[in-house]
Amino acid sequence: MPTVRIHPTGEVIHLEPAETVLSGLYRAGYSYTVGCRRGGCAICKVDCRSGEFSYDHPIADTVLDEDERTDGTCLSCRAVPTTDITIELRGEDVRLVNPFLRQINEKARLRAEALAAAPAGPTTQE
Amino acid sequence: MAVMRMGYAHVRVTDMAEAKDHYANTMGLYETHSEGNKTYYKAWDEWDHHSVVLEEGGVGLVKFGWKVEYSSDLDEIEKRATAFGVTVERMSKGENPEIGDGIRFTTPSDHVFEVYHEATCIGTEVGTHNPDAFPRHLVGVGVPALDHALITAEDPGLMDRFLTAVFDFYPTERVQTSLDSDADIIATWMTSGNQIHQLAVLAGPNSKLHHFAFRLGDWVEVGRAADLFSMDDVPIDIGPTRHGITRGQTVYFFDPSGNRNEVFAGGYLAFRDRPMSVWTPDALGKGVFYHARELNDAFTSVLT
Ligand code: FES
Ligand SMILES: [Fe+2]
Repeated sequence: MPTVRIHPTGEVIHLEPAETVLSGLYRAGYSYTVGCRRGGCAICKVDCRSGEFSYDHPIADTVLDEDERTDGTCLSCRAVPTTDITIELRGEDVRLVNPFLRQINEKARLRAEALAAAPAGPTTQE
Repeated sequence: MAVMRMGYAHVRVTDMAEAKDHYANTMGLYETHSEGNKTYYKAWDEWDHHSVVLEEGGVGLVKFGWKVEYSSDLDEIEKRATAFGVTVERMSKGENPEIGDGIRFTTPSDHVFEVYHEATCIGTEVGTHNPDAFPRHLVGVGVPALDHALITAEDPGLMDRFLTAVFDFYPTERVQTSLDSDADIIATWMTSGNQIHQLAVLAGPNSKLHHFAFRLGDWVEVGRAADLFSMDDVPIDIGPTRHGITRGQTVYFFDPSGNRNEVFAGGYLAFRDRPMSVWTPDALGKGVFYHARELNDAFTSVLT
């Protein structure tokens, strides 16, 4: 599953299938400036420094203008990474508001590492 | 001359299927019509054909409709708006399904208003003959009616004057920079009758929607609405809480396209001769969210 790396602080969030950047960050216990969580208010924009994502809903032109659709702007509540991505927040750092949830992300990290270290062979199952 | 109420709020939604699920199944509105990319709804205690229009494509406000008491009010409002320097066009019956002739103009805040006198009367869900207190098979929150809206404007003072001059509204409460006579208006709550507000205007960008609100009866209904929002994964912005301004009980939440909605209960009776309440910025947190006593990040920045 794709990961989201936060630049420059380096947190790495492990996403579920089809999960948005915002959902992944909140599910890992982090918070940052968001508003409607439904793609309408444009407050949750971050910058994507590397990697690919797509939007899981149509985004209004009033929320993302033409340039922002190609310049790395990432409307985080609707953006679903298709590869590992690195994002940078605009003018703030993520805040860890629920440390218990970080343990879940830690487990996901360990599982992903174990999977990567497994000897090549028949496809490993979940 | 009388504007009776905000007759309809017409908003854009990015995904009609999700929006219909929210407005019909969570809010409990009744679909009365659909054509092309638009869906029309009324609430159970409303009699006119529709009070909410959803249009697929984008987010934010398309327009508000205002219903007047007499057809002659249309001419009067046209005259007053023109005198204020606003260009008024005539709209004819059927331009909006089931809505009669009227006028249309863009306010100094760049919001589109339509004013009309006739709408097809469908009737409330309880009827008029020995009516029961409420329909017994309400869905979700089961809101009875559209109530009011809050829009943003670069110059709320200008909108206060505009609504006074053109709609004969009066302010019930205001936020001002100070109590001095040269104070600037930061926000104004305006109405034509005893309803505490029909339209509020907050300083911010022109043409934007802060929220539109549905009416509820009391605290218990507001709390139950919030419970249903959790069950239906509706993002809650704030609440249940009270507004210091208007004294209304409230939940702010978002529809599936990110338009802010509100459920609003209470609010005291407004009268033209009641001295206006004035809030100053030092107490604005308490004025908006009476319990948290501070504004959240979203209040001034999250708009559609
Ligand atoms: S939080 Fe409103 S667009 Fe993402
Ligand atoms: Fe409101």
